[in-house]
Amino acid sequence: MKRAIMMNSEDNVATALEKLDEGSLIRVDSSSQENVKDVTAKQAISFGHKIAVIAIMKGDNVVKYGAVIGSASHNIEPGDYVHVHNVISNRMQMPEIWYR
Amino acid sequence: MKFNGYERSDGSAGVRNILLVMAVADCSEPVARMIADGVDGAVAVTQHHGCICGEMVANALIGVGENPNVAGVLLVDMGCEGMPARSLGQMIRRTKKPVEWISIQGLGGTNKTVATGKEILERFSQQVMTAKRTEIDVSRLVVGVKCGGSDTTSGLAGNPAVGAFTDMLIDAGGSVIMSEPIEAVGAEEPLAERAINEDVRKEIYRMIGNEEKRWSVPGAQLEFMCKGNIDGGLTTIEEKSMGAIHKSGSRPIMGVLRNDDRKLEKVPKSGGFYLLDDTHLEMMSFSSMAAAGAQIVIFVSGCGATIGHAVLPMIKVTGNPETYRRMSEDMDINAGTIITGEESIDSVGKRILDEVIQVASGKVTAGETFGYSSFSVYRKDPRLEALLNLSQKLP
Repeated sequence: MKRAIMMNSEDNVATALEKLDEGSLIRVDSSSQENVKDVTAKQAISFGHKIAVIAIMKGDNVVKYGAVIGSASHNIEPGDYVHVHNVISNRMQMPEIWYR
Repeated sequence: MKFNGYERSDGSAGVRNILLVMAVADCSEPVARMIADGVDGAVAVTQHHGCICGEMVANALIGVGENPNVAGVLLVDMGCEGMPARSLGQMIRRTKKPVEWISIQGLGGTNKTVATGKEILERFSQQVMTAKRTEIDVSRLVVGVKCGGSDTTSGLAGNPAVGAFTDMLIDAGGSVIMSEPIEAVGAEEPLAERAINEDVRKEIYRMIGNEEKRWSVPGAQLEFMCKGNIDGGLTTIEEKSMGAIHKSGSRPIMGVLRNDDRKLEKVPKSGGFYLLDDTHLEMMSFSSMAAAGAQIVIFVSGCGATIGHAVLPMIKVTGNPETYRRMSEDMDINAGTIITGEESIDSVGKRILDEVIQVASGKVTAGETFGYSSFSVYRKDPRLEALLNLSQKLP
């Protein structure tokens, strides 16, 4: 089974350790390599990119490393691809030209 | 733990024996390059902020000249600069290393200046290039840590491995500095918790808050993350910061070294981890770290990099196994073994420490094999500092 890593038990996203295929069941490990849950990838997700491990409502914090890394700009379902299309910084916004 | 380095007359320890030909401003750079060209150990550098550019640029050039990796300094100016070579040279001479200065207008043009410069370098070579390496304790090493071209492996593997190294070097009595305040936005708390005292805690918040103001001016389209960061999976500055600060390890933060229009503070000899109030812009931050006393820098790049600094040997680390496979000729350390599950973070940290000691003793880095020797100098724009009320010179 392909793997993603969840850096902290409070996180609501995990990072893909290999390319994840749409519809495949993903093994989510803790940073100490323990399998903490499984989640089905709703879209294809590249190596190093993030997958939601639980639902994140629009406006809620996105948490990685146990720290707030931004907030959801749309409702996010478990297994959704999480990136600039559905998360914004709470501090400084990048010019949109870089990712649109 | 020991390395084999060069004892300098001011009590510092060098890991390279460089003859620095420093063009005070970029108008003299071509002549400086011609002087250095073909001379063993010589490298030409300059800065690109003009010649009446204020204390920050002067402090950086003086500090780089004072760096223990530099065995001798030849300053070159045109002769009409607001910041003449003589005034910088007199400051660098306090280290007691050979320092001289020449003016192109005074000597009568390119050919005469190149000939005079080469004679001076020849004299310097006889004085300093015969220096022998001797055994020196690692507690006298100052290592700068920096990341760039980050992807998410930097936060998962490359930076944590460097953080493990940072703790190991500090436990052995050495010093580590990090200079990228924008890459601490969103990571203030975990840094501030490590401040050695309340003053340092406040300085950490001040440094990061000021940098956030510089990079979030309404109406300005500012690039504080690169396209590669986003392609690599990093979504926000907070995520990038939380990954970046792993390089700083876990030991107490002893202080925030200032680099502003009043002064450029050097790393104290007492060891430990320090932040430098400077920039995340790579080549400029390396020069500032050199001016603050670093002898080596470690650069973590998930995307891969082909850079090297004029006076600091650079150990390049990638946490991305695919990047290492494609660019192994350019990357010194593969931390991608953490991602593939082959190696622990501590094990890679130990390999980085071993590499630092070997490079400090003369091992040639990947960048040095290609002769990479870039240089540029950071300046906080005095107009922006004044407009944002950040100038240290204002009442």
